[in-house]
Amino acid sequence: MNSIVQRNIIRAVFILAVQLLLLKRIDITFESFNYIHFTIYPIIIALLPYKSSKTLVVLIGFVIGLFVDLFYDSLGIHAAACTLVAYLRPYILNILSPVEGYKKDGLTAHGYGLPWFLSYVGIFMFISLFTLYSIEAFSFVYIKEIVLRSIFSFLASLFLIVIGQLIFNPKY
Amino acid sequence: MRNLIYLIIRFSAIVTFIILECLCFYLIVNYNKSQKEIWAHSSNLFTGAVNKRLNNVYSFFDLQTTNDSLLLENARLLETIINYRISSKDNRFQAFEQSDSLYQYNLIPARVCSKTLHLRDNYISLCKGRNDGIQPGMGVVSEHGVVGIVKSASTKYATVLLLLNSQSRVSGKVKSKEYSGTLLWTSSDPNILNMRNVPKHAEIAIGDTIVTSGYSVAFPPEIPIGKIKNFALEGGGNDYSINVHLDYDLSSIDYVYVVNFEDREEKSELIEELNE
Repeated sequence: MNSIVQRNIIRAVFILAVQLLLLKRIDITFESFNYIHFTIYPIIIALLPYKSSKTLVVLIGFVIGLFVDLFYDSLGIHAAACTLVAYLRPYILNILSPVEGYKKDGLTAHGYGLPWFLSYVGIFMFISLFTLYSIEAFSFVYIKEIVLRSIFSFLASLFLIVIGQLIFNPKY
Repeated sequence: MRNLIYLIIRFSAIVTFIILECLCFYLIVNYNKSQKEIWAHSSNLFTGAVNKRLNNVYSFFDLQTTNDSLLLENARLLETIINYRISSKDNRFQAFEQSDSLYQYNLIPARVCSKTLHLRDNYISLCKGRNDGIQPGMGVVSEHGVVGIVKSASTKYATVLLLLNSQSRVSGKVKSKEYSGTLLWTSSDPNILNMRNVPKHAEIAIGDTIVTSGYSVAFPPEIPIGKIKNFALEGGGNDYSINVHLDYDLSSIDYVYVVNFEDREEKSELIEELNE
């Protein structure tokens, strides 16, 4: 039990470090095409143990989002998106429930297989990114930009996450 | 009590979620420039629409006051125009007269209480009387033109003999040609007046404007009445009989101005002496 908590903390610190020190600086722009932003930190919330209390997940989501906001200089935007997706996490898990139910605590590719992991993280990331860019624009006047940005960032971020998952292949 | 605690624990996720999202929203609209502007703008759209409606409702209750103050203002303006016209525009003796002695006409604004228009002898009554300075014999005009002459006045009310009355006699003239005559209402058409006593050598044409002459004590000069519709020589007479089409609709008047000529008594005494 203790090792799971430790593991999650270490993972959170690592992913946040990568996100804020490395990915934040990457800026892929081709003329007017600037829709790719690497955003992987919501995976911290997705990979929290299955048995974590809903309230705790929501709180953790808020804290992580706020922490990212401090670095992105956008107080509240990432926090709002993270809180929403953290709240929706149990419902996403419900939809994707395997036939035999969730037997293992770690929601990883190691535990439930890559296809399940892909669909889970895919839904999770897309919701969080779409919310994030919607709140960033703060008006559905920019719906085209929001959708384009969500899709391209989603693909890029998912690519990174899957690579990370394959490299580290964590049990929890 | 225990149930309540269970309930809170059961819904703690959604409660936390809502509280935190509200907090996020607060942070977003307070610490982010563009979001702050968008929020301010959209909330302004909403509150603006509400305020506009509220304002419409409030202003409806103020209409009466607004109308009254406008009426007063109109009276002042009309007064100034009338007096200016007398003192400078058409006055060839201007150099010999002191301009403040020519400020002769005051207007008293009044609201119409009741009116008849379909009878042979039509009257309107005003909601002001002797207390406000209205005396029998004063002329009554609206912003469009002549309305009638005050026939009698009580302390609070006054009766006005309308232009459309078989007894009404108003002295008029053809504008800029100075031929004067008397206007009567002999037809039954509320838009047509009859003008008598215009000599047959007068050069008049259809469409000429008829205004008040200013010879009587009731009206200042140059108050519009109507236009010449057609004219004919009376059989064997020396005078034209002119049909004058009223420029304005007397049935729609709600506010009028009573003309107070300062030297009214002096002038009317003199005229009466002449008639005796």
